[in-house]
Amino acid sequence: MKKQVIGLIDGQSGNIGSINKAIKEIIKGRSYQLKIIRGEFDYSLYNKIILPGQGAYATLISNLKKLKIYNPLKTYLENNFSYLGICVGMQILSDMGHEEKTTRGLGIIAGEIKKFKSKNLIIPHMGWNSIRLNKEDQIIKKNLDNKDFYFVHSYIFQNIKKSNVLANTHYGKKFPSIIKKGNIYGVQFHPEKSHKYGLNLIKNYILKS
Amino acid sequence: MLKIRIIPCLDVIKNKVVKGVNFKNIKVMGNAVEMARYYSLSGADELCMLDINASYQNRKTFIKTVEAIAKVINIPLTVGGGVSGLDDITDLLNAGADKVSINSAAVKNPKLIRQASLKHGSQCIVVAIDGKRYENKMKVVVKGGREITKKELIVWAKQVQSLGAGEILMTSMDTDGVQNGFDSSMLKKVTSNVSIPVIASGGVGNLEHFYLGHLTKSTGLLAASVFHSGKYKIMSVKKYLKNKGVPVRL
Repeated sequence: MKKQVIGLIDGQSGNIGSINKAIKEIIKGRSYQLKIIRGEFDYSLYNKIILPGQGAYATLISNLKKLKIYNPLKTYLENNFSYLGICVGMQILSDMGHEEKTTRGLGIIAGEIKKFKSKNLIIPHMGWNSIRLNKEDQIIKKNLDNKDFYFVHSYIFQNIKKSNVLANTHYGKKFPSIIKKGNIYGVQFHPEKSHKYGLNLIKNYILKS
Repeated sequence: MLKIRIIPCLDVIKNKVVKGVNFKNIKVMGNAVEMARYYSLSGADELCMLDINASYQNRKTFIKTVEAIAKVINIPLTVGGGVSGLDDITDLLNAGADKVSINSAAVKNPKLIRQASLKHGSQCIVVAIDGKRYENKMKVVVKGGREITKKELIVWAKQVQSLGAGEILMTSMDTDGVQNGFDSSMLKKVTSNVSIPVIASGGVGNLEHFYLGHLTKSTGLLAASVFHSGKYKIMSVKKYLKNKGVPVRL
């Protein structure tokens, strides 16, 4: 049987060590291969692509363009191939990011990225918070409903279609913490830092979606 | 709902967790990698490790220890101690730290906070502040409290926030090491003047101290001795807090 190829994009936006380690643990002894993507790539060679991101929306977009990852990634996503975006890696799926300046995103899932707006709220939203499941999915089963995941962010996905939201989290207000359109997923938290439940989610994404 | 973070802190020399406020009478508490693994498995929400003797020779082993720890835990890791410039921050992030804490280098050169947060993002830049009362004022101190700077604590806390720090690790040198509880009045003063997360540090001796720390609006509670000595397990602290109505991750 041909090995499934998982691409992990290093967008020079935070270190990829934790997610790299998590993927390796999951695919050990299984028919999968992990490749790190650091520049232009042939998207047709990949079965799944994971993009973790930290820091600013505009920085990640400009890094991806500089590294020549942006165009093949956009085509990959427009073809509805399997993707998991983490934190800013999820946010750039939107049409637009309003962080420092307004930046155009990949435009895959309709919506915009805006700052948490609420008086007396400690920003960034940093720490463990629970998710409430909207609907079950291959990557997120009932056993993960109401469990805690590790968040660190100041911006949230807004004006998103309700049908694209798999789970919400509450901080000052309700915001989408897991989103999906077709085979494309985004999570606002960091599953790679979220202990066993986080690993469970990554495992579901790789093996079951 | 956001949960309070219980954060064990490892004071490290090379690859050993030590206890000893001054550099005499240093007592080895255990192997850093083993202890980190244990805390990650037993419910710690984050881990903090500090190089308390960052000499050139020790540093290499310390960085290797950071790498080894990052490989065995799957919770966030904050690393500090001996960070003097941008290169140190990059090295630690590359070694697997999720956040880097800067202390006296930031006091000496506040621009470092801005540069570091622009380069790596605010979310991974923690500014550690050591505070102490002096002539009826709360001041910023360095060198483990031995040197009192001209900076007023609250002015500095607000400044580090505006320079782009993602979080403040606030240690009171008036309560550190005494195990009589966190410095509630100092912490409240800081949390009411900034809007970034504050981690309370210095002084935990019993379970109630954790609860009182939560009341200061600090979102992280850091402790060392009570965990390393085995006096409390992380889960017993969390269960205690839960009974008091504090949101915790169980």
